[in-house]
Amino acid sequence: MANLNLTLKVWRQASPEAQGRIETYKAKNIPDEASFLEMLDIVNEELVHEGKEPIHFDHDCREGICGMCSLTINGVPHGGKKVTTCQLHMRQFKDGDTIWIEPFRAAAFPLLRDLVVDRTALDNIIAAGGFVDVRTGAAPNANNMPIRKKTSDAAFDAAACIGCGACVASCKNSAAMLFTSAKAAHLNLLPQGHPEKNKRVLAMVRQMDALGFGNCTNLYECEAACPKGISVDNIAKLNRDYMLACASEAFGVFS
Amino acid sequence: MNEIKFPVSDYMPDSCIPDGPIAEKWTKYKREAKLINPNNRRKYTVLIVGSGLAGGSAAATLAELGYNVKCFCYQDSPRRAHSIAAQGGVNAAHNYQNDGDSVYRLFYDTVKGGDFRAREANVYRLAEVSCNIINQCVAQGVPFGREYGGLLDNRSFGGSQLKRTFYSRGQTGQQLLLGCYQAMEKEIGKGHIEMHPRTEMMDLVVVDGHAKGIVVRDMVTGEIKSYAGDTVLLATGGYGRVFFLSTNAMGCNVGAACACWKKGAYFANPCFTQIHPTCIPVKGDYQSKLTLMSESLRNDGRIWVPKSREVAAKIRKGEMKPSDVAENDRDYYLERKYPSFGNLAPRDISSRAAKEACDDERGVANTGRGVFLDFKDAINRMGKEWIDGQYGNLFEMYEEITDVDPHEQPMMIYPASHYTMGGLWVDYNLMSSIPGLHVLGEANFSDHGANRLGASALMQGLSDGYFVIPATLPTYLTTQKPGSITTAAPEFKEAEDEVKARIQKMMDVKGTKTPDEIHRELGKLVWDDVGMGRTKESLMHAIEKIPAIREEFWTNVRVVGSTEGMNQELEKAWRVAAFLDFAEVLCYDALNREESCGAHFRLEHQLADGEAKRDDANFAYVACWEYKGTGELPVLHKEPLTFDTVHLAIRSYK
Amino acid sequence: MNDIITTACKFVTSSIGRKILVALTGSCLLLFLVGHLAGNMTIFGGNVAEGETSWINYYATGLHSMPAWLLWSIRLGLLAVALVHVVLTLVLKYENYNARTHYQKEGTLKATLSSRTMVITGIMILCFAVFHLWQLTFNGDPHDCYNHIIHAFQDPLCSIFYIVAICCLFMHVRHGLQSVLQTFGLATRKVRPLYNIVAVLFGLVVCGGFIAIPVCVMLGILK
Repeated sequence: MANLNLTLKVWRQASPEAQGRIETYKAKNIPDEASFLEMLDIVNEELVHEGKEPIHFDHDCREGICGMCSLTINGVPHGGKKVTTCQLHMRQFKDGDTIWIEPFRAAAFPLLRDLVVDRTALDNIIAAGGFVDVRTGAAPNANNMPIRKKTSDAAFDAAACIGCGACVASCKNSAAMLFTSAKAAHLNLLPQGHPEKNKRVLAMVRQMDALGFGNCTNLYECEAACPKGISVDNIAKLNRDYMLACASEAFGVFS
Repeated sequence: MNEIKFPVSDYMPDSCIPDGPIAEKWTKYKREAKLINPNNRRKYTVLIVGSGLAGGSAAATLAELGYNVKCFCYQDSPRRAHSIAAQGGVNAAHNYQNDGDSVYRLFYDTVKGGDFRAREANVYRLAEVSCNIINQCVAQGVPFGREYGGLLDNRSFGGSQLKRTFYSRGQTGQQLLLGCYQAMEKEIGKGHIEMHPRTEMMDLVVVDGHAKGIVVRDMVTGEIKSYAGDTVLLATGGYGRVFFLSTNAMGCNVGAACACWKKGAYFANPCFTQIHPTCIPVKGDYQSKLTLMSESLRNDGRIWVPKSREVAAKIRKGEMKPSDVAENDRDYYLERKYPSFGNLAPRDISSRAAKEACDDERGVANTGRGVFLDFKDAINRMGKEWIDGQYGNLFEMYEEITDVDPHEQPMMIYPASHYTMGGLWVDYNLMSSIPGLHVLGEANFSDHGANRLGASALMQGLSDGYFVIPATLPTYLTTQKPGSITTAAPEFKEAEDEVKARIQKMMDVKGTKTPDEIHRELGKLVWDDVGMGRTKESLMHAIEKIPAIREEFWTNVRVVGSTEGMNQELEKAWRVAAFLDFAEVLCYDALNREESCGAHFRLEHQLADGEAKRDDANFAYVACWEYKGTGELPVLHKEPLTFDTVHLAIRSYK
Repeated sequence: MNDIITTACKFVTSSIGRKILVALTGSCLLLFLVGHLAGNMTIFGGNVAEGETSWINYYATGLHSMPAWLLWSIRLGLLAVALVHVVLTLVLKYENYNARTHYQKEGTLKATLSSRTMVITGIMILCFAVFHLWQLTFNGDPHDCYNHIIHAFQDPLCSIFYIVAICCLFMHVRHGLQSVLQTFGLATRKVRPLYNIVAVLFGLVVCGGFIAIPVCVMLGILK
């Protein structure tokens, strides 16, 4: 165990309208066993003691599953170590390092304060079609519908998305394709999701477009930044499903 | 030391349990329950606080039925509620494994697991609807683990001798919550739910004795606002963060429940707090939370400490690798003490056994507070690949946090605050002692008695939200004229003003300690004195110290920033203040309950072999505490528990 | 009928729809490159004595002696494909620029240089194409194509410009080809590395072929 002394370059912005800027802070004696957010806690505690306003950032479960923590670290969402920021540990850094900390940036994620952004747009994509339209109580016995293990596992792989938005924040075009495609793939792969497949794909893609996300140019930066290893295979599948859904809508085929 | 004499009241609201044989109560209830015409449902506004499994499933289902739903959560999206972190699984009595499961057996295991401190009728209902939950979730597209034949797989969990737990790798809570969130988003998209994320409930508004609204703080603008409705559903989770370090999310808090308690809802059995046996041990003072390693790991991991103190000391100092400890020098204490359940003994028992081993100075981890969870045998038996298929993500997570590969060296674990069985008292309709205030999921005193079995929390949250509340809500709503109360009622203004004044008071202290520092202080006190082993002395010590910490808060806290706009320090301070108001009743309840049962272990009350010694003659009741003012003794109301179906017996897992 | 028009309109204004159109036109241009390269390679048939026709001159006159309507349909078709490709990518780029707010410190994990510079290399290729058409297609006598080319590449500036432009083309094609397959939904984790290799090989062969001409002229192999 060792202690680190770091220089932080942090984006500070008092409100959505205010002019933001990078400010420099010293983080002293940070245990290398601490998580990145615990490092910020330590810095914040010091700031409060000095009567200054702490750095605001989103976080909740701190075990890498809720998807609330964000932060772009040295230009890469979640720091690019295949984990969420809350699971990034300080042993990944060296004594004397300078660390740039910025919010998840995208026009579709308006900034609220400091490092906190509004990711409601992702919820809106789900509301458009990211569900199976079943009523509570009407479900048949769970084992009435055998599902190939391979299919179920593939659906799970897509469903493991935590909705953090790192894909958008890392994308050079701020596209939300990895998020949208993962949710669509999860449901489209399963027989339960099949009846609404075309409807879902069209609704989700159109909603995604309407929300001001950029367009995918197959850079695969999203896959590299994703803390849950969601594959760009889902994007390929969404492209395919979208073509079929359009064909279905226009010509009544593949429906 | 002074004795505390709790004021006791004879009054107890009716728990509204239908009569008849236990297996027919719920059917009978539904047959006779009041209904509301679909066209009239939209006239009723239902305010739901919390969007986890209980709140989210209730919101989705009630909106589907046609009610006008408004849902509030403090996170930025309903998908982030802490139910998402549940790892292991969800129980159901489907008996797909043909190993003898049935509704009755799930009911029996749950009552026994809860050490006979739960309400039989509620638990039976829970077991009854458990299968519907699985059916519903599968229909929603939740990708549960499957066998090669395409049918659902099950694993076993603590406290049961069969496989009834459905799972999605180590992310069952996430998948169930996403199912529920998607159902919610579907209704949000249709305009049936009005969703308010980043909104924290600050107070309950009671008009003429009925819960008719809430006061909230918009966490983005800082605005204090009110919402009126025909009923309020509280699904705000537990109060595990009273210990500061816990497996709960950073935002989990008792604020909303505490506000309701202050407005007259009884707090039931607050001393029943579950300490989960398998968490990653504490590292240092800066630590903000503890990470759970799913109980499912105990299916294949073996728990041990060195037999001798010398070996343990060497491991602590790093002079010896755990994997080098000879088989003969290892004490697999759970297998030794509880041969029939072994490593799958219930949580309370496993946690206490770990504590005993560490108290005996045979603990590992640099603090001496840790035991091993070893997968060596399972890896030798089933192979690395199979283990990774079962627990891959948990192994990765462990390595991420500790920098140790659990394939090579055993995991180190230690108990941590995890779940709270206690909560606001509710009747069979899930309505609290304030008419119109319904409490769901972990926030209510629930169906788990003195100890919750693994994979039962997800079951309870979803049962309350998907199946129970939709059936019981009309019982209350039909007695109300829809939309009769609006935010124009003077009670709303009054509650808003109180909230604003309390916030202002906090801001004006301008002391020297941060809210987190005070929270840590409280947490340490409560953990040491009201944690896994409680004595009269420790409880009296805590009761004496808590007011001092509260006093410190109100005279020396420093809340920087302003009341307008986003202010995370203010959010923290508000939550800490609620924990400070609540912490005493936790101690009072633990002091009052002069017995050991489930997770509540009073060192004075144990059997010769160190097991919990229950006192059914005097304590087979739900202790319901009525608020009488901060710093004042609360009044105790007792709901007697009767066990007609399951006979009271000493819980044995040997 | 209405459904078809409505969907078509939505398709060509959607993010995925436009991407598919870019991929489609891109594939056409890739095919064109193959054909063009095949034609160009005839230059290695060498020059011939007075009165005979060299391979490339034969090829060039052949192209020009096509019926005018066919020649112009191919030319206009190619122009349309190129226009759709260019206009759509520029529109998408503009939208992407607006969708993004920039970091003070930029970082990249995986996106290749070629994938990030598609617009720049694309514009280079466009400029080059215009120059190339002016220089070699619309000027000069097809019957004396061989000498015209040799003469053009004997100017080192011109040759270097060609080589740089073809390098841009390589980068563009290297990302473009595998991107087309991803956009058509034909990629998976297992085949994507293979596509990458195919894209690089394709780029090397095509661009290598194109570059060989100015290089050989400058080295005096072709004269």
